[in-house]
Amino acid sequence: MFDFPIFDMPMFGHRFIFAFDAIVHVFISHGAAVGGSIVLVLAQRLAIKNNDQKFDDLAYKVLFTLFILATAVGALTGIGIWIHANIINPAAIGALLRVFFWKWFVEWIVFNVEMVFLLMWFLSWKNRPLGTPAKQSHYRLGVAYAVASWLTMAIITAILGFMMTPGNWLRSDFPARPDYIAALMNPSWIPSLGFRTFFAVAWASAICMLLTWFFTRNDEETRVKGIRFFGKILAACVPLFLLFGYWYYLQFPAQAKELFVIGAITRRLAGNPQLATYLTLGLAALGLLGALTLYANPKRAPLVAAVIMLVGTSGLIGEFERVREFVRKPYIIYSYMYANGVRVIDMPLLERDGYLKYAQFVPPEFRQVSANGDNKLKVGEYIYKMECRYCHTVNGINAITARVKGWNEETIDNRIGSLHATVTPFMPPFAGNVAERQALSAYLYDLSSQQR
Amino acid sequence: MHFNMLPNDIPLPIPTWGMDSVLMPVFLILLVVSFVVHMVFINVLLGASLASVYFNRKGAMEKNPVFDRVAYLLTTPVTISENMGALWGVAPLLLVSVLFTPLFYAAAIMNSPQWLHIIYGNVAAFLFSYLYKFTWHKLENRKPLHIMIGSASVILFFTLPLVFMSTVQLYWTPTTWTYNTHFWDALLRPDTFFRLVHFFLAAFAVTGLFMMLYGKHKQKSADATDAEAGTILLRTGKSWFALPTVLNLFAGPLALFQEPSYGIEAFFSAGYHWLIVLSVVIALICLYLVIRNFLNDHVSSGRVWTVAGLMAVTILSMATLRHGMRMSLIGPALAQAKAQSEQFQKDSYEARTAPKPAPAIAADAPVGKQLAEKNGCLACHAEDKRLVGPAYKEVAARGYTADKIVALVKQPVPADWPDYQPPMPPMPQVPEADVRQIADWINGLK
Repeated sequence: MFDFPIFDMPMFGHRFIFAFDAIVHVFISHGAAVGGSIVLVLAQRLAIKNNDQKFDDLAYKVLFTLFILATAVGALTGIGIWIHANIINPAAIGALLRVFFWKWFVEWIVFNVEMVFLLMWFLSWKNRPLGTPAKQSHYRLGVAYAVASWLTMAIITAILGFMMTPGNWLRSDFPARPDYIAALMNPSWIPSLGFRTFFAVAWASAICMLLTWFFTRNDEETRVKGIRFFGKILAACVPLFLLFGYWYYLQFPAQAKELFVIGAITRRLAGNPQLATYLTLGLAALGLLGALTLYANPKRAPLVAAVIMLVGTSGLIGEFERVREFVRKPYIIYSYMYANGVRVIDMPLLERDGYLKYAQFVPPEFRQVSANGDNKLKVGEYIYKMECRYCHTVNGINAITARVKGWNEETIDNRIGSLHATVTPFMPPFAGNVAERQALSAYLYDLSSQQR
Repeated sequence: MHFNMLPNDIPLPIPTWGMDSVLMPVFLILLVVSFVVHMVFINVLLGASLASVYFNRKGAMEKNPVFDRVAYLLTTPVTISENMGALWGVAPLLLVSVLFTPLFYAAAIMNSPQWLHIIYGNVAAFLFSYLYKFTWHKLENRKPLHIMIGSASVILFFTLPLVFMSTVQLYWTPTTWTYNTHFWDALLRPDTFFRLVHFFLAAFAVTGLFMMLYGKHKQKSADATDAEAGTILLRTGKSWFALPTVLNLFAGPLALFQEPSYGIEAFFSAGYHWLIVLSVVIALICLYLVIRNFLNDHVSSGRVWTVAGLMAVTILSMATLRHGMRMSLIGPALAQAKAQSEQFQKDSYEARTAPKPAPAIAADAPVGKQLAEKNGCLACHAEDKRLVGPAYKEVAARGYTADKIVALVKQPVPADWPDYQPPMPPMPQVPEADVRQIADWINGLK
């Protein structure tokens, strides 16, 4: 965004560091917190009902692992999404915070409840033996934790839904008057919440099956009980998340549906759309194969079956998140703001006055191409750093030099002039005036010719 | 006053539903209160994690199980305060991000990638601290390793305030921003340095207070080792509270007078200095209450709770005057960012409602050419010169039929045009009727 300072992330690029934090957060928060709390509450309920000490111990061991993951990694990488967003796309997260402040505030209160009940549930588990009335009230701590945990997901999902399908949220753009209720009640919220809930529980069950395998190496009886119990939950969730997933898909904007295949595989492979199907089915098959092997014969099933199951399911989650992020392009908030932080309605102004005129953190001598053109390359570099670095790096991941390799300056300029075209519908249009576009072309040409 | 570089405010209102006069003070009170809670947890986290490693080592060196017990007891407040500290940091982070967006985000960006350390460094510190706590009995006979694990978490926890403080001090002082300001500039400045000194001393003092309370509680324990550990906690707590509090009487003013003068002036004219007087007087009373029985153990529970209550007032008062200094420093900058944003939105409105210039391709151009423009073909092709792809005249020279061109748009054959990079991607989304008209136009080019 033009009015903020520039943050350089060579080689990895912004997308990569953001995706790293976000995907770790999704794996842990869905698996260890939201899904994990629900699955473990069900497990504890079964242990109480059958007065089964060994099963209760198993549930505690799983909770111990999930507690460490949820508090040390899940919660912090969740805050990390803000921290990454505020240096990578301050305009976008700033806008989201203004629209969703109260929801986030409520989420923080729920987060408190979640954390307190988690600490109490976990730290007092061993002091509440099975078969005593204290255990019954201890179980209620777990239920409270699970409910609070799910509510945090419900709120965050509203914000993710808003980014894709904001609906009719802006009653007037000047002066800006958001409709907060419409933003919350956006069309993809409920379907995506259902989808995420059931895949979180399924994913947590898969993790619990793997952990059960580890924690019951000397106790085949508990292994059979544990793996079959978690396996049944997993099986029950699959049709539910498929159903909600389809409903969710129906809410996507038409333009986003067209990007599905590229999102699922890559642009290079998009000519063979069947590959996307193979990849998805393949990952699902891995997950199911591993789960079935474990379920059919928990005593004999090798560790590799559990690992295959986890690879398959985590691959599916990773693919889903990538597709969801990709098909929203070229926007970060649909139809309102492009991925590089420029509002759609500001394009005519930037075209008229130039992008760098408003670049507060670019030295004034580089805010305009000089009459003799001696600062052209530097101007182009600033434009690159402010508009392109959201997705591209110079030489690293999604390298810009590889994109313009072999092109002359005129070709680059022509291409930049029509970025949001059929060939690259996921790219936002160039923002700025003609002189800036030419400066950017000159800079990119210079970059690629240095590499020859 | 004018700030040379300042981002525009976010072009959306702060969500008060038009009730600024009611809700803005509520936001600010929430900010100060949640920040105080966050800080107290963080102070105890820093102090208790360090004290635990210190007593662990002392116990191992002197083969004294009471010190080992003190060290182990301290891991519980560490677990609680690391989790609650992070949790209560979220509310101030949310409020600062909404209320002071342009300043806070600009500072965070200038301090990056180091800013990310507050996530990744924190994750690592958490994992080490859990490892330290949960391997206590397993590593009983391998104390050097265990102490190393504990030290790793302490060192990591102690690096986090460096990143936070330099970002906070940077967003408070937009007059110091340059086109090249980065993390190390912000960290190694005297204003940041003295605030850090003030902060770390306060962390020890608050931990001292906590240890006195915890010690009094443990003294009542039926277990003899725990009761003895309680006495050690009480003694340690007294000195941890007293010495840093005395030193902070000097560090505080040093930190205050490093701030830019316009801020100090606004701070004093708003009367915030009376809160300094209040904080110092209460702190001196507390010092007296603690030092009176410094060399013996006759400190009653009532006295410790009195000190804790009084210090709670001091902490709230210091947090309020901290907020006063913040607003004195950033108030003018916030107003400017808001005005800039309003001007920008107004200009933008004018630009987008102005009459549109004529399109690049004239309306009397051939239909095929217009469709080629509409479908984005001209991003890579021109009529008579090579761009990303071949000139259409060259394509025409190959004499493809319209059917062939339709097939090629859906599934290009890059092998036929080996000199061109990158290969043309498949574009099935272009309607076939359009492609046929475009093909006619191409084949008509000579």
